Amino acid sequence: MQASLRSALAALSLVSMAALSSCGGNAREADSPPSADEPASAPAPGLDIATHEGDFVEIQQFETPEGISVWLVNEPSIPIVSINAAWPGGSASDPQGLEGLANSVVYQMNEGAGELDALAFQTRMEELNMSFGCSAGRDWTSCSADMLRENAGEAMDLVALAMNEPRFDDGPFERFQREALIGIKRRVTSPDFLASEAMEEALYPDHPYARETSAASINALSPSLALSHKDDLMVREGMLVTAVGAITPGKLAPMIDKAFAGLPAEGDLDLPGEVVLEDPLAAPKRVDLPQPQTLVRFTAPGLQRDHPDFFAAYVLNYTFGGGGFESRLMKELRVAQGLTYGIGTGLGFGGELATWSGRGQTRNETAGRFVKGIKDQMRAISRQGITEQELADAKSYLTGAYPLAFDSNSKIAGQMMGVRQQELGVDYFDRRNGAIEAVTLDDANRVAAEWLKPERFTFVLVGEPEGIAPVETD
Amino acid sequence: MAKLRYLLAALAAAILAPATLADTGETGWAPETFTLDNGMEVVVLPDHRAPVVTHMVWYKVGAVDEAPGKSGIAHLFEHVMFQETDDLGPEEFTSIVQRNGGQLNAFTSWDYTAYYERVARDRLELVMELEAERMRDLLVNDDPEGPFITERDVVKEERRQRVENNPGAILFEKVMAALYPDHPYGIPVIGHMDEVAALTPQDGIEFYETWYAPDAAILVIAGDVTAAEVRPLAERIYGELEPAEKRPARGWREVAPLETSQTLTHSDPKVRQPEWDRYYLSTSFRQDSDLAYALAVGTEVLGGGQTSLLYQSLVEEQKVAIAASSWAWLSLHDTAPAGFSATPAEGVSLDELETAFMAEVARILEEGLPEDDVKRARNSLAAQAIYARDSQSGMANRYGRALSIGLTIEDIAAYPDRVRAVSADEALAALRTVFGREGNGAHVEAHLLPEAM
Repeated sequence: MQASLRSALAALSLVSMAALSSCGGNAREADSPPSADEPASAPAPGLDIATHEGDFVEIQQFETPEGISVWLVNEPSIPIVSINAAWPGGSASDPQGLEGLANSVVYQMNEGAGELDALAFQTRMEELNMSFGCSAGRDWTSCSADMLRENAGEAMDLVALAMNEPRFDDGPFERFQREALIGIKRRVTSPDFLASEAMEEALYPDHPYARETSAASINALSPSLALSHKDDLMVREGMLVTAVGAITPGKLAPMIDKAFAGLPAEGDLDLPGEVVLEDPLAAPKRVDLPQPQTLVRFTAPGLQRDHPDFFAAYVLNYTFGGGGFESRLMKELRVAQGLTYGIGTGLGFGGELATWSGRGQTRNETAGRFVKGIKDQMRAISRQGITEQELADAKSYLTGAYPLAFDSNSKIAGQMMGVRQQELGVDYFDRRNGAIEAVTLDDANRVAAEWLKPERFTFVLVGEPEGIAPVETD
Repeated sequence: MAKLRYLLAALAAAILAPATLADTGETGWAPETFTLDNGMEVVVLPDHRAPVVTHMVWYKVGAVDEAPGKSGIAHLFEHVMFQETDDLGPEEFTSIVQRNGGQLNAFTSWDYTAYYERVARDRLELVMELEAERMRDLLVNDDPEGPFITERDVVKEERRQRVENNPGAILFEKVMAALYPDHPYGIPVIGHMDEVAALTPQDGIEFYETWYAPDAAILVIAGDVTAAEVRPLAERIYGELEPAEKRPARGWREVAPLETSQTLTHSDPKVRQPEWDRYYLSTSFRQDSDLAYALAVGTEVLGGGQTSLLYQSLVEEQKVAIAASSWAWLSLHDTAPAGFSATPAEGVSLDELETAFMAEVARILEEGLPEDDVKRARNSLAAQAIYARDSQSGMANRYGRALSIGLTIEDIAAYPDRVRAVSADEALAALRTVFGREGNGAHVEAHLLPEAM
């Protein structure tokens, strides 16, 4: 719930409101003419292109000559191109005792390839005014490259070098380890890290999602382990590719093949199984940290994307705690009581874990009142439900704001990859607002009664909270 | 991969997006601008990719304009702007925007205060009406236990969340106070806790009446519109608002050079990893654009990223640091800070780190900057202006911020060319002026330390 403007100027500017997380949106084709050398209408030799003319974006789907499936949004009005790839399997597939392995792989991906050592590789990226980097999430590993149209070919040559001949030199590998060890030192006073750790410990202590790096696991890593793990993570099987920007399928396809066709056909990864949550804790769990505020986090079981009540929960969440100033939690705990700068809730889904959770901060002295206020709101919404007006307000925001999620190439790229990862279908953007409109008051209130009862939530408090009745401590 | 730490990341963002300033040339794209009869400036930034707009009103007032003892009023007042007007009930402003599928927020800095709504293009007129309404017809509730006071409590929580929970932010406040003992940049935008706690509805009313008027405002609209469409709406909706009779001069003033150097230390049980920073007074795009452009290029070469001279020497070769950088803020109205930042490697003391760091700076300033590195830095800074165009709200921000500190559309347009025109000699001379012996060398050093055992 950090405002986007806030992150850039956190120290300089102060933002008055907790921002809404937006979801989804809209773009039309731009009005700039295509560049002279590649008219948009030119047939791409050998490519079978299925064009989906959606309400928000026009998606071109095709297979490259080497058989890689690509989704492209051609957007010529700014001379930039963004190319993204993702693979199932992320840090939760790190072998036990080697936590940090996936992160060590992605760190090395722009630290030297072929004849180029780390400095030469980074220098080459600067010369081309491009960026390329990879990241490992819990369940997915991703790479993305942003480049200028004028030298996209050279930029993708460098990406191809990184994908196919990465060096994993000792120098940058040891630098990764030094940084990771300092990160481990730092995180023990990070309220959010401590809260996550406590929540995982309470709800799924034995699942791979609960595993964290340690000094021992970081020190156990090596360039050769990482290089071999790269060939398990970044493989042809399950790979998803999307692109947005000033490029046609005919130009893009050979670049994609050069970068990704040579990856191993498949890898050997331990994908985690479904998370079965423990029963919620009866009393809040407390983690001591010397600071003037208490961070309150609360988590209950949630709904996966394919659950029939998913959209009802999504709409309901806006009224409960997801709608910024329009949410009940903000109206009561911030606007009416002045207890917090911000509180918000959200649905967590994807992978093997579905949650309904929230967070907010209040001064230590009012922590008890704050937790009680949150539980009162849970009790009220689960017993009495929401009103017709609240339902209408939620729908009008969620559907009306959807186009805002499609107003930049980078947002479109993110939206499109999400649709591919969650297998929602190429027409998802066009169907999504209809699914929200279809939620009835009965649906929303049935979901509230079932999912938002306070006793379903585990509370974790980090700080020096006061006024909390018996708490569980470590 | 947190190679820069939190606080500096914030500063770096302000440079990295030398952001105040974007390009126009390359693709024939250009902003359109006009001024209403009452003095309100209007900028339209067309972007027809999606049928949405970002609507912003920037007020030429910020924390520099606060009266002594009233720190935080500019920011608290920004919160109060969401409360109530002649025609809008309590909190109705936000409800209307969100019911129309809009996102909204606001932010306050030393130099400006800005409000925005992001909506579908067919709701532009609505949000213009709403912003115009609260520009002149806000109601400030003077109930001593009413919503003004509740919002003051919210801001106190905000201060705890941003500053008091965060040892790095506490130290940064001390640094700014030491750099700017006689200038309002030395006072935190969010205000000192005791002064915020004493602010009254009457303070809010006076602040509003003094500073909120169309002749002190800039309208920036980015997105799926043209100036031809905006002009009649702006003339009808904003053009009829009365300008203010008069208002005081802005609180901007000359920044006195530092006379002596000092080291500030903050120890905290929450700190597990020491951090080293050094701050100098430099310049800004507004104060001395030649020096600012040269310094932007110079700090990029010296310590702008992983390929930079300082990173390569201190992190890669000597391994005394896990992060090392140089930066220049440059987007403030008055003289801004520039400086160095580093995180020591395990087992390296801050004194050892400082010795190694400053020896390297001295060597580079003596020997000069490699021509290839300067060329690369120029090109990357200029290319950022192209990438920046991808973000509609980012573009609105960059134009609004630049204009509100007195830069012009032409200054923004000239950014890529001016960056590309910086020579290696000029970049080096700028570094020597700010950090080297051609300046007086006075600085504020900041040591963030774990609590003494």
